[in-house]
Amino acid sequence: MSNDQEGLETLFDADIDREPVPRSQRLKRQFDLYVAAPCRVAMTDWRALVGTVIVAVFFLMGTLGVWLVDKPSSGDAPVLEPPFQNFDYILGTDTFGQPIGAQLIHATPDMFKMVIAGAVVSVGFAALVGVVSGFLRGTTVDTTLMSITDIIITIPGLPLVIVLVAIFQPESPYVIGVLLGLDNWPGLARTVRSQVLSIREESYVEASQIMGLSTGTILRRDVLAQLMPYITVNSALASRRIIFESVGLYFLGILPFTTFNWGVMMNIAYEGNALNRPDMYHFLTFPLLTIFLMSFGLVLFSQGMDSVFNVRLRARHASTIDDDGGHE
Amino acid sequence: MSNTETIFEVRDLNVTFQMNRGQSRVVRDADIDVARNETLGIIGESGSGKSMLASSFLNAVVEPGVTTGEVTFYPEDGNPVSVLDLSDSELNRFRWEAVAMVFQGAMSSFNPVTKIRTHFRETLQDHNRDIPAGMDRARDLLESVYLDPERILDSYAHELSGGMKQRALIALSLVLEPDVLVLDEPTAALDLLMQRSIVTLLRELQAEYDLTLVFITHDLPLLTKLADRIAVMYAFNIVEIGTTDDLLYNASHPYTRALLDTTPDLNVPVDEMDIIEGSKPDPVDQIPGCSYHPRCPLADDHCRSEEPAMMTVRNTQESACFYYNQAADAVPISAAPSHSPTTDTATDGGDR
Amino acid sequence: MSGNYFVKRVGQAVLTFFATVTLTFVLYQMMPGGPAEALRNVILQQQMGSGNTIDPARIEQLVAQYTNLESDAPIYVQYYQYMSSVFLEQDLGESLYENTAVTTLLADRIPWSMLISVYAMVIGYTGSIVLGAVMAFKEKSRFDSVSSVVVIGLNSTPYYVAGILFIFFFSIRNEFFPTGGRVGLGVEAGFNVAFMQSIAHHAALPILSMSVLGLGAALTMRGNSVRVLGEDYLRVAELRGLRNSRIATQYVGRNAVLPMYTQFMIGIAGVLSSSVIVEQIFSYPGVGMLVYEAIQVRNYPVLMGSLIVFTLVTVVAILIADLTYGFIDPRISAGGDNE
Repeated sequence: MSNDQEGLETLFDADIDREPVPRSQRLKRQFDLYVAAPCRVAMTDWRALVGTVIVAVFFLMGTLGVWLVDKPSSGDAPVLEPPFQNFDYILGTDTFGQPIGAQLIHATPDMFKMVIAGAVVSVGFAALVGVVSGFLRGTTVDTTLMSITDIIITIPGLPLVIVLVAIFQPESPYVIGVLLGLDNWPGLARTVRSQVLSIREESYVEASQIMGLSTGTILRRDVLAQLMPYITVNSALASRRIIFESVGLYFLGILPFTTFNWGVMMNIAYEGNALNRPDMYHFLTFPLLTIFLMSFGLVLFSQGMDSVFNVRLRARHASTIDDDGGHE
Repeated sequence: MSNTETIFEVRDLNVTFQMNRGQSRVVRDADIDVARNETLGIIGESGSGKSMLASSFLNAVVEPGVTTGEVTFYPEDGNPVSVLDLSDSELNRFRWEAVAMVFQGAMSSFNPVTKIRTHFRETLQDHNRDIPAGMDRARDLLESVYLDPERILDSYAHELSGGMKQRALIALSLVLEPDVLVLDEPTAALDLLMQRSIVTLLRELQAEYDLTLVFITHDLPLLTKLADRIAVMYAFNIVEIGTTDDLLYNASHPYTRALLDTTPDLNVPVDEMDIIEGSKPDPVDQIPGCSYHPRCPLADDHCRSEEPAMMTVRNTQESACFYYNQAADAVPISAAPSHSPTTDTATDGGDR
Repeated sequence: MSGNYFVKRVGQAVLTFFATVTLTFVLYQMMPGGPAEALRNVILQQQMGSGNTIDPARIEQLVAQYTNLESDAPIYVQYYQYMSSVFLEQDLGESLYENTAVTTLLADRIPWSMLISVYAMVIGYTGSIVLGAVMAFKEKSRFDSVSSVVVIGLNSTPYYVAGILFIFFFSIRNEFFPTGGRVGLGVEAGFNVAFMQSIAHHAALPILSMSVLGLGAALTMRGNSVRVLGEDYLRVAELRGLRNSRIATQYVGRNAVLPMYTQFMIGIAGVLSSSVIVEQIFSYPGVGMLVYEAIQVRNYPVLMGSLIVFTLVTVVAILIADLTYGFIDPRISAGGDNE
């Protein structure tokens, strides 16, 4: 990583043609650029702050929470206990006497597995296809990749996933995640490709080409660095989508009920006619609220990151200008 | 000056913006008169406040800027108009009917999704003009800017070249027969050849349509070919004003002289005008005394404590410098200006 | 618009559709044990009731009848037969249960789903455009920030959650709308007011909950408007003394809305795909319900047929969007490479 940043830095130096800067100063500037400035902005941008906090809380639920709270099983507690009455099951219990809070917590790890598998596969694949296609613009490889992308972009995601799920009945959260991520990558691949094309036009990539750096080096140093904002923002949005769809499919009962899932809870509650039974409201409400919160957190996070990265780009610009001024 | 008729009178004009670190004054107590049918050039570095001054002629300083002072327009017949006091609907009428403006972003001055014809038509319509007659005038105007009227009217902006768009915009600016045309860096994005032909064109249009032109630029060589009088702006105020010849051969403000000195060949345009040594003036923390004193070789305690008012150098020329009669000696101009208004040597710029 | 572009674009659409049909063929082949094996159990169950004895040959025959697959033929023959029945005979196979052609089943249901999808998108986008424009005009005001939070909140609400909430508040707590169905009992079908009203009444909640899907466009609209408000041509329009109403519609409106056109068309197809979940919640008998029911009983021909039809709708929507965009936005000269 530090190697990458050094590379970027030397590139900037070469670009504006001045003598090398001492390493300590260079590191300090790197720190300002990549850590301090984004953090400062993140602190002032409420969306980034709230989004990060929400995602972090869910992360704690999925790690620490699972370890602290026992896995619920039927008959743990009285059936349909209302919420906020008993400290042991603060969100109440369901029709089988399972504490709702514990179920929500124990559903989180699988959710994360799904999201990670889906986001990693779809975003990674999209980045790969987009970058390769963008760099080989106009070649047969580019044309072929983009034709395939165009075809897959058109196949509606949810119906395809439903057919796949119906045929293969996947149980592993990783597999479900990958299936749900399938319809995500083509759009992103196109975005990445056009980003690569515009980055290629930018002067400092040209400069590195003139300096005789290999395509691979340019790709790693400049292009991926510039694409990180996109990839981060899109990962957050892809995650939200995977959560939406997986919970939806569990809720419909299309995915097999093999684990705790917010959608499974909603399904049981909804099928149990919770809408007409006030004593069951909490059984439906808390999973709904959880999905909403998680999704809200991810959307805020992605939007916050978007502005943070934009500010970072600005800060980079500003610091280059300041440097120029400082050399008078 | 005194024997010509004034069309615009600007007094104590201030343009301010509220910023986090305080009030930013981008035009300070500016006074200027524009004579009917003259071409007044306003020159200054980027960020000297010249565009703001130009915008205030139409009370069109962008939000959230605040314009105060007096801007009075004297129509050929009728009562003087206090531009800054107009109501919204009066202002809508005043704009383009009395004063039109062609500004910096001319390349993107047209609505990209409607044809040029629509731009003419909607302008006529919203000013309650007779449309067939107005469109006839539009065709005449397009012809006088050397464009094929039918072809241009049926085009979208993206189908035209930069020079064509610029000329179409000038034609559009004249469709309501305004008295004054304010041009804010109208040639900035054009190549040299096109810049020169626009200048020639403006001279023709001025004669044909009895126009008063206010031409804002940072391009001194260009201005010397067009302007009758030139006002020099520095640090948000006018520091010297005079006829073009006054300024070229007898500049009396150290800043004007420094400017001329850095522009040795008046036939070569300058790209950016921040070439003078020293830090740029700050619109928020404005220094006491003469705004130019940190860069001025003549500066003394007087300059550092008191701000000079405009001093009359001669009948046609004023300078905001206590030592205007010493400026020539203190700031020599190394190369004598090789100004030649009659020969347009645009050949060297053909490939730009 | 050049004929060349038209041909190229239509060709692309046909190719995409062809690829999808091929995909369904591949999916049949990828079923555990192949299509015959996978369908055998379903067919056995289904035939059991009728008391017929079933021999393997009969099963092959039924598989072929339902899926257009001759599962004992070589793979390329199967592929040819499958493709030719889809493309040449418009035959998507037969439902395992109703003895009805899949195409008939889908044709019955598609209009109802299209109805709610199109209206959901139109309503969602209209709301978005108005809201986004007002937010942009009042950029950085309290209204803007509050609306932003509300839109992000709505955007974070899955449409099925919205559906559940709507049912709860508008059908169960207050009986404003029916909890299911697409038309009232005993209402005479046909072109009459009562019928139309009943349709609207039943479709209202599904439409409303799916329109949540279109609401994210408010932020897009806001962004576009803010960008247009900063454009030079807007300043020139103000300098030209044009009427505010003209500036708002012809300048800001048109330029901000146009880029959303393609997104809108693709959105209709996307909403249609999401109907599976919404229609189940509202027991609204459209394609979504059909798919849902097919999953429950592993009615593969219906599933595959729906996938093909969903793709067809998407392909056509995008094709229309691309072919008409040139007329709507003169900047895009059709025939240009849309990089």
